[in-house]
Amino acid sequence: MSVDTKMAWRNLWRNPRRTILTISAIAFASLLLVFMLSFQFGSYETMINSSVKIHTGHLQVQSLGYQDKKSIRLVVPDPDAIAKILDQIQSVEAYTFRANAFSLVSSKKRTYGSMVIGIDPVKEEKVSTLKSLIRKGSYLAEDDTNQVLIGNLLAKNLKLNIQDEITLLGQGRDGSIAATVVKVKGIYSSGIDDLDRNSIHMPLKYFQDVYGMYGAVHEVVVTGKSLKDVDKIRSLLSIFIKKIKKHPLVVLDWKELTPGLLQSIELDLVSGIIFYFLLILVVAFSILNTFLMVIFERTKEFGVLKAIGTTPGRLTKLLLIESISMTIIGIVAGIIAGSLITLFFQGHGIDISGASDLLSQFGISGRIYPRLSILSALIGPGAVFIITVLAALYPAFKIRSLNPIEAMTYV
Amino acid sequence: MNSKGISTAVLTVFAVACLCIDSPAQDARTIVKESFNYMRGKSSFSVVDMTIHRPNWERKMTIEAWTKGLKNSLFRIIAPAKDKDNGTLKKGKKMWTYNPKVNRVIKLPPSMMSQAWMGSDFSNDDLSKTDRLIDDYTHTITGTQTHNGKKVYLIKSIPKPNAPIVWGMQKLKIREDLIFLAQEFYDEDFELVKVMTTLQIQMLGGKMFPKVWRMQKAEATDEYTELNYKKLSFKENLRDNLFTISNLKSPRR
Repeated sequence: MSVDTKMAWRNLWRNPRRTILTISAIAFASLLLVFMLSFQFGSYETMINSSVKIHTGHLQVQSLGYQDKKSIRLVVPDPDAIAKILDQIQSVEAYTFRANAFSLVSSKKRTYGSMVIGIDPVKEEKVSTLKSLIRKGSYLAEDDTNQVLIGNLLAKNLKLNIQDEITLLGQGRDGSIAATVVKVKGIYSSGIDDLDRNSIHMPLKYFQDVYGMYGAVHEVVVTGKSLKDVDKIRSLLSIFIKKIKKHPLVVLDWKELTPGLLQSIELDLVSGIIFYFLLILVVAFSILNTFLMVIFERTKEFGVLKAIGTTPGRLTKLLLIESISMTIIGIVAGIIAGSLITLFFQGHGIDISGASDLLSQFGISGRIYPRLSILSALIGPGAVFIITVLAALYPAFKIRSLNPIEAMTYV
Repeated sequence: MNSKGISTAVLTVFAVACLCIDSPAQDARTIVKESFNYMRGKSSFSVVDMTIHRPNWERKMTIEAWTKGLKNSLFRIIAPAKDKDNGTLKKGKKMWTYNPKVNRVIKLPPSMMSQAWMGSDFSNDDLSKTDRLIDDYTHTITGTQTHNGKKVYLIKSIPKPNAPIVWGMQKLKIREDLIFLAQEFYDEDFELVKVMTTLQIQMLGGKMFPKVWRMQKAEATDEYTELNYKKLSFKENLRDNLFTISNLKSPRR
C-alpha cells in the first residue's frame, strides 16, 4: 500500500460518521436500483406471459403470409403433423389449433363485422386464459356445436345476452358463402378492447364445417414452459417445418405476433430509465455536497499540507482515492444488500392483492416475482459509480488553486 | 363559371344527351354522369358470370342483377348451387343481404359499402355502379386519347373534402360515345390500388356495351375478378316492388 493510499484510508476513518453517511447514501441508491430494475424485468416477464396467455401464445405456426393478409385460404393443412413434432419437444407446455374468419355478425337489431375464431375447447384451456375470462354464462364444452363465446364489448354493441341468437355471414375457404345461426353460451372480457370488441369463439369442429376448412386450421398456438424456452422451441420447430415443402409454413414468436406488447415494454423501460436517471442525479448532488463539505472542513489541513511542500497533483490524487474508495465500498454493499433482498422476493413474490382485482381481469395473478440477473444487478450501480466519480472530480481539482497562507488562517 | 352557370350548362347538356347520346360533351362531370346514365340505362336486367381469380385458385359464380335508376339494385346468385339465392339489395345508401341457408335478411352497415363483395375484387359500391362517383368527386378533364378511332376523355376525379370516400383519387377513361373504358383507384398517397378495365365492346341489349369488366389489383397481376355479361337488356321501367326486402327473400319473377 503506497503512502498516498494509506493516508487516504486513514483520512476516511478520521471522521467515521461523515464517511459512513456518504457510503450509505451510495449503497442505498445502488440497492434501490438493483431491486427496482430486477422488479421491472420481472414484471415484464409476468406481463408478457399473462398477455400471451390471453390469446396469442408464445409462438404460432402459420402459413407463410397469413400474419399480414389474414386470408382464409392461407391454411396449415395438416395440423396433426405439427402436433406430432410439438409432442416431442420437451420445453413445450401446451399447444392448440385455431381457425379464423372475418364475418358479418348480426343480432336482431344490429350488424357488425367481427373475427370468428374456431377453438378446440379442451386444448384451448391449457394454452390460454379464455376460460377464466368468462364473465357471464359458461365456457364451451367438448361436443358443443352451434354455441359461441362472445366478447363483452361486442355483446354490448349487438345488444346480446346469454342464449340469444346471432347470425354469422362470411366466406368459406372454398369461396362459398358461409352462414349459420349460433347461440351465445358465454360472454368474456379480457381487458384488451380489440379482442373484446372484435371476436367470437366457436368450437373448431363446427367452424371447420361452416367455413369448409376440411380439417385445416390457421394457427397452431404454442406456449413454452418459460419465456426463456421460446427461442429454443422456435429453432427446433423451424427445422421440421422447412421439411414440409408443399405448403410453406412459418414460426412466429410473441414479438412478431404482438408488436404492441414489445412497444409498450420499451415505452415503460424508457420512462423507467428517466426515473432512474433522476434518482442517480439526486444521489450525485448529495455526494457532491458531501465532498465539497469535506474540503471546507479540512481547508486548514490542506493549507498545512501545501505549506510543507505537497504538490497540488498529489492532493488531487489523495482526494480522488478517498472518494473512489468510498464509492466502491458503497456500491459493493448496495449490490450485496440489493441482491439479497431481490432474491428473497424472487422466491416469495410480491403480493399485489390490493390491486389484484383489477389485474386479475387482465389475467395477471396476485404476485409479481422480481428477476435478478447480472444485467439488473450491475447497470444501476455502474451508473452510480460513473456519476459519483464525476462528482468527486470537481472538489478534487478545486483544491489545486488553494492558497496555503489563506487556507491556514481559515477557521 | 359560377355555380348557377354550371348547373344550367349541366341541365342543357343533360337534356341534349337524352335526345342524342352522341352529342359532344365538354364538361367532365357531365361526361361522367352521362356515361353512368348510358351504362345503367333507366332500368336493366342482366345475367353475369363472375370469375374470381387468385394464384392457385379460381371460383365462378353466376349472378342475376336488376338495376333501376342510379339508386336501386338487386343481385342474386343463381349458380353454383351451394350459394344459390344469396342476394344483395341496395336502395340509395341502404343495403341488405339475404342468405337462404339461415333464412335471414341482414342489414349491412354503411361501412360495408366499400368492402369487397363476396370475396371478389369489386366492392359493393363498384358493383352497384353507384352514383357516389358523380356527386362526391370533383372531375377534371386531363387529356384525350383515341380508341378504335374514337376520342377518349381522360378524367381525374378527386373526392370532395368532406365526402366519405376511401380513395384519394380516381382516374377515368370514358370514350366519346359514353362507354366506360377504365377506372383507376388510388389511395390517399396517390398510389395505384386497383384498376378496372372494360373489354370486348359489342352490341348488347340494343346498344354498344362492354361485355367483359375486369377488376385487377395493382400489385398482383394474377389476382383479378372478371364480370362477363351473358345477358343484358335495358328496360323502360321495372316494377318498384322488385326492389323490396320481401322480393330479396322470395324471388318472384
